[in-house]
Amino acid sequence: MMNKYVERLYNGLIKENPTLVLMLGMCPTLAVSTRAVNGIGMGLSTTAVLILSNLVISLLRKSIPDEVRLPSYIVIVASLVTVTELLMEAYVPTVYEALGIYIPLIVVNCIILGRAEAYANKNTPLLSVMDGLGMGLGFTIALTLAGLVREVLGNGTAFGLQVLPKGVEPMGIFVQPPGAFLVIALFIIIMNAIGIKTRQKQLVEGCDGCCAACASAATCTSKTEEAAK
Amino acid sequence: MSTFLNISAGPHIRDRWSTRFIMCMVLLALTPAAVVGVAVNGWHSLFIILVSIASAIGTEAAFDLLIKSKKDTFLDGSAAVTGMLLALSLSPETPLYAPLIGSMFAICVVKCCFGGLGKNFINPALAGRCFLLISFGNAMTVFPMDHMSTATPVANLLAGKAVNVTSMFLGTSNGVIGSSIAALLVGGLLLWAFDIIHGQICFSVLGGFTLFIGLFGGQGFDPAYLAANLCGGGVVMGAFFMATDYVTSPVSRLGQFIYGMLIGVLGGLFRVFGSSADSFSYSIIIGNLFTPLIDTYILPKPFAYSKKDIALQKGEVQKPLSERIPKPVVVLVIITLLAGLALSGVFELTKDTIAQQKEKKAWEAYRTVVPEADKFDSVEADDIYGQIYGTKFGRTKINEAVKGYAADGSVAGYAISVTSSEGYDGDIGLSVGISADGVVNSISFTELHETPGKGMLAADALFKDQFNNRSESSFNIGKEIEVISGATITTKAIVNAVNAALDFYYNVIKGV
Amino acid sequence: MNNSLILIVVSGALINNVVLNQFLGICSFLGVSKQMKASASLGCAVIFVMTIASAVASILYDLILEPFGLQFMKTIVFILVIAALVQIVEMYLKKNSPAVYKSLGIFLPLITTNCAVLGVALTNVQSEYNFIESVLAGFGTAVGFTIAIVLLASIRSRIREQDLPAPLRGAPIVLISAALMSIAFMGFSGLSF
Repeated sequence: MMNKYVERLYNGLIKENPTLVLMLGMCPTLAVSTRAVNGIGMGLSTTAVLILSNLVISLLRKSIPDEVRLPSYIVIVASLVTVTELLMEAYVPTVYEALGIYIPLIVVNCIILGRAEAYANKNTPLLSVMDGLGMGLGFTIALTLAGLVREVLGNGTAFGLQVLPKGVEPMGIFVQPPGAFLVIALFIIIMNAIGIKTRQKQLVEGCDGCCAACASAATCTSKTEEAAK
Repeated sequence: MSTFLNISAGPHIRDRWSTRFIMCMVLLALTPAAVVGVAVNGWHSLFIILVSIASAIGTEAAFDLLIKSKKDTFLDGSAAVTGMLLALSLSPETPLYAPLIGSMFAICVVKCCFGGLGKNFINPALAGRCFLLISFGNAMTVFPMDHMSTATPVANLLAGKAVNVTSMFLGTSNGVIGSSIAALLVGGLLLWAFDIIHGQICFSVLGGFTLFIGLFGGQGFDPAYLAANLCGGGVVMGAFFMATDYVTSPVSRLGQFIYGMLIGVLGGLFRVFGSSADSFSYSIIIGNLFTPLIDTYILPKPFAYSKKDIALQKGEVQKPLSERIPKPVVVLVIITLLAGLALSGVFELTKDTIAQQKEKKAWEAYRTVVPEADKFDSVEADDIYGQIYGTKFGRTKINEAVKGYAADGSVAGYAISVTSSEGYDGDIGLSVGISADGVVNSISFTELHETPGKGMLAADALFKDQFNNRSESSFNIGKEIEVISGATITTKAIVNAVNAALDFYYNVIKGV
Repeated sequence: MNNSLILIVVSGALINNVVLNQFLGICSFLGVSKQMKASASLGCAVIFVMTIASAVASILYDLILEPFGLQFMKTIVFILVIAALVQIVEMYLKKNSPAVYKSLGIFLPLITTNCAVLGVALTNVQSEYNFIESVLAGFGTAVGFTIAIVLLASIRSRIREQDLPAPLRGAPIVLISAALMSIAFMGFSGLSF
């Protein structure tokens, strides 16, 4: 029987890994995973924002009226992202340059809004923080893994260190857009083949009614219409 | 004889030509080009061909084994065709790992993953080639001649240099292994004669390409130029052997024509405006992307059926395209687009003219307020121009100040252009003319949009001439200047503007 | 004048396709492309919202944020503008055109969290586009999104699950299709007028 805080970590890292199981946050995953180190940078910045946003939203969960839930989340997350962006621009400019436009895009990262809606506004602050940490780390690991595969195949390096023997040509396509799609497809194929259950079908089929893991749960009108019936 | 009726799924009347037969015919048609290619380029080309075909067949066999398929599709010849096509589109000096990996990608990812023969939506050989182009960019684009690295004829064409069309036609110039147009035509026309490929496709591809090059290539419909373009860059190979692939081209005749034209035009677009000589492969696979869409909306007519019959048969009336996309949304989008385009068009058209007009007005105003001046020179004060000037003049900016010279070279005076944003109805722009001895000559308006009958009276001599020949360094309403009745705001803005100009004159120009 | 403006539209739509090249708007791209009609509807809605959002964002940035040194507020301001815009469009459609509203259904609010809309507004700022250029970039990007999603929908309508090996069913085959589309679209790179 796991301590409930540790359970949150386990959940985010493995059981409900946001990228590999819940299939959330595909945009940054595909875009940023050209190098393993980008995965770490993006993953950790998202984790920071996720922890803080989960904390703030959880603290305010009883004060935010239902009608303005989404706009409030957005303002909170956007502010946190802007703060993160400014701090990164000031103190880690190379990482900031590499991640470029994808930092402000953390605002619409489905994981953050999704967790805010699915967890933070229904649970206590400490649990929400742990959830944020778990999800964020899970995202970071998945992103770094994808980045590593793409970097090795497409560039012959891993974390910047030459891995492929000098004579072997790396397949450049893997650090290009098509390669991103192919690598993620490969991950899912492997998970399907060994029987790990994921939300991969829902990823390509739109709304399946399961709001807990849905990226757009906060904006979903069909849900509110259902509730109204 | 059995009393049971034998039931099987259609089609019941089968053509005597099986997949294997068609594939063999295609391989046969490609043989001349392969032979010429090897003859001209050497043994390595043969190895490329063999590796490519072997890799393709091997990959398909392995895949069949892996998914425990019941059919042994690797024997039907389609993999061999893919391998051959890929090999013929490679440079003779390509390292052997390229055809190996390329064929693997073509068969495994493009074809088998989607369910095998007939289920792919992109031409496998070309997708494999583009995969290689993106992955091994350097290795793929080396086209040596006599083992020396030279630019291909198409590269030369793009650069405007002369090319030997005959050599390209025969296949003796440097290029991919299957670049002998003559040999390709022998095979291609053979396939067309046997109705194995559809003429609509190959000829509309060639036609669309020629049309675009002729219209936009910069050399009109010059036959030599067109021939050179057609003979290079895989156009003929693509038109006859790649675009015509049954699986990835539309089913209906009209659809095929549209598809062919699309590929041809895209090919021309990339050739004329793009930066690489390998672009025709991309044109074809982009065309492939549109095939499902073309097939959805352009349905072939079943034998003896009219469109109404089809609809009735289906038990539903197929809604016309215009109803399938919600009309109001489309209208909304179109309106937005048109409005945006109109706005931007007008803006661009008038932008320069407006700027010119403004400048002309300013200069005319300068002449009016410093009449003795023949020519003007700008006064250097860049850090002041365009900024709000001082603190006592409201939102007033000094735009520009010029020094006027009379015909004999002496200083005739100064003209200062000012704008106040505090007019009643917008900006008020005027020029103040100051003579060489510091007397205000007059003022002239360059911009005045005030209320007619009130603020607009400022332009009348009655008000304006109050500033003529005044030696004051600053004006006050009620003292030196009479306010315009019912237009206090306008008056104030004008007076502030004039005062700002004067302040500029005394403090900046004169340095007092 | 004309050439660079044409290039902005073509670049947004084809050369730097928002989904196949910049990976913005992937969630709706993958999820909505299951149905052709929904894809077309979403595409039209995105064209509308993105063009206007680009215009408004450009105005706000040039007239308010920049002169007052508030550039760092752009993310918040833009996302609020987008949310408001979508809300307005939704209310307008609900009242004046219930049929359209119903057919777009869930997709309209989805546009708010569609990273593509925010992404293009931010890119416009980064590229220092003026108003006209921003509008054209937004329009071009949205057209590119529509082309991509409609093409993927038509391709998906051709795929039959039972033909596929089991591990490929569902997301993998769609991602591979997207990969092949992406390879094809790389043909547009290097185009210039």
